Amino acid sequence: MKKTLLGILLFPVLLFAQNNLERQFAYAENLFESGLYYQSITEYKRLLFFDDQNEYSYSVNLKIGLAYKNGAKYDEAVEYFSKALINAEDSDQTFECKTEIIRTNILRKTFNRAHELLDELELNSDYLKIKNDIYYWRGWAYMLDDDWESASNEFAKISQDHEIKKLCDEVINDKYSVTFAKVISYILPGSGQIYTGNYLSGLMSLSWNALWGYVTINSFIQDRIFDGIVVGDLLWLRFYRGNVENAGKFAEMKNIDIANKALRYLQENYKGIKP
Amino acid sequence: MINSRLLKLSVIVFVLIGSSTSAQSESDLYSTENRRLFGDYLFCQQDYLRAIREYQEYLKFESNDTVRFKIAYGFNRMGRYIESADNFKSLFFASALAEEAKLEFLTSLYFGGRKNEFFDQLARKTYLPKKYEPHLVRLSYLSEFEKSFSYSLPDSAIFVSLFNDSAKVKMAEFYSRKKHPGYKNPTTAALLSAALPGLGKIYTEEYSDGITAFLLTGLMTFLAVDNFKADHDLRAWLFTGLAAYFYAGNIYGSAASAQIYNAGIRFNFENDFSFYLNQNNYFLPQYDFLCR
Repeated sequence: MKKTLLGILLFPVLLFAQNNLERQFAYAENLFESGLYYQSITEYKRLLFFDDQNEYSYSVNLKIGLAYKNGAKYDEAVEYFSKALINAEDSDQTFECKTEIIRTNILRKTFNRAHELLDELELNSDYLKIKNDIYYWRGWAYMLDDDWESASNEFAKISQDHEIKKLCDEVINDKYSVTFAKVISYILPGSGQIYTGNYLSGLMSLSWNALWGYVTINSFIQDRIFDGIVVGDLLWLRFYRGNVENAGKFAEMKNIDIANKALRYLQENYKGIKP
Repeated sequence: MINSRLLKLSVIVFVLIGSSTSAQSESDLYSTENRRLFGDYLFCQQDYLRAIREYQEYLKFESNDTVRFKIAYGFNRMGRYIESADNFKSLFFASALAEEAKLEFLTSLYFGGRKNEFFDQLARKTYLPKKYEPHLVRLSYLSEFEKSFSYSLPDSAIFVSLFNDSAKVKMAEFYSRKKHPGYKNPTTAALLSAALPGLGKIYTEEYSDGITAFLLTGLMTFLAVDNFKADHDLRAWLFTGLAAYFYAGNIYGSAASAQIYNAGIRFNFENDFSFYLNQNNYFLPQYDFLCR
């Protein structure tokens, strides 16, 4: 009899406390869905604070992480995804948390950490079930780290016709070869700059090298060996080295433009999941 | 029979209690006390902006000086010194935390870039907290020490005596570093390089640069003279130009090198001093009641 009475006494209290937390969760969710991330974090944190039974630990920590991520507060996002990971109850939840941590690491450009986590995931998880996800996020990590060839290889593992793989291949084709620009500048000063479309710089480079080359060779012809060595070393070689470095730098700058154009295309037009 | 009636009655009573709890429970998480508790939790997590919002809601229904202090302190931690100072002012009168509030008000002026106001307030003594006067005197000396030059430093004995025994040695060391910084004079460096190329660089302890400058300027001058003698005008003028370029560049470079040397000394001193002061919270008190 006493137990029945105690049960009756406690039941409504527990039930309504439960309802209270549910309502709070729904309220925070509503704020989150409305894009009010700052306010949603406050309400999620309030729920966590009053959730004595830790019933919402996983879902709320995950949501706080997402809200921070959407607000570009990546360090805080990783902190809360990690808390959610501690409270994950099954492999799906674990995978979701780890994926979010990886995606946030990609966004905050800590690519090494993203790769480490992907490698861990590959070793410790049901690999076959999630392998395409691993390839996908590894591809994104490589892509945002400006390693388009590795990115293309990763997306190719998902499908040879993958939309992003094609984009990566286009970038690889469009990019200028830094090595080629430097090598042709070694052979003919200024040609590397002309290859990258910097015609004026190329012609200037050619002219300076011709002038100091003439003075150097002329010194040797006139048996002024020491003059030739000094002019050759201090002027000709300096302009020659500068020409080669310049060619490489121009090629790198062009490549950054090409990569940025591709990334802008992804940001504006790609419909798939992004980090 | 009686038990069965009692059971029914209990069910009705508890369902009614449950319903009233339910009606009340809608605002439970937002009750005044819960606002404060949640605010304390956020405050200790250093989530000051959210904590302040909770405390402000709490203060609509309750009066609590500790909570007011925490709001002001939270603004201070966020670098919002004007709001911090304004909030500390509300605790100046009839509050158990009046002395602490006055101290924090003045330090908000100090750290908020309003040092003139800080010194004015200190001189007028209107809001001077007696309990913390030594802390403020020390702070004003620290400010004077930071902005003064080696020739206008406060008296060393007075300055060092303001600190406790454990800090005295370190502060005496900082004093000595500021008094004798070992600066290099840029004009001396330039004149030395004008007299002998590279000597200014040696003076500023750039030894390899100095030797290189001496050798290159000498070599260019020699080649220029030699080419003039051999009637190779193009190369002669080329080497003359290079010699003049190296000579002038070395004079300018020596003066710049002295300035860089001095800037390095200043930067290292300010960095070390600021790190030490921050490490010791500028020798200001820490409050246990803020986050237990």
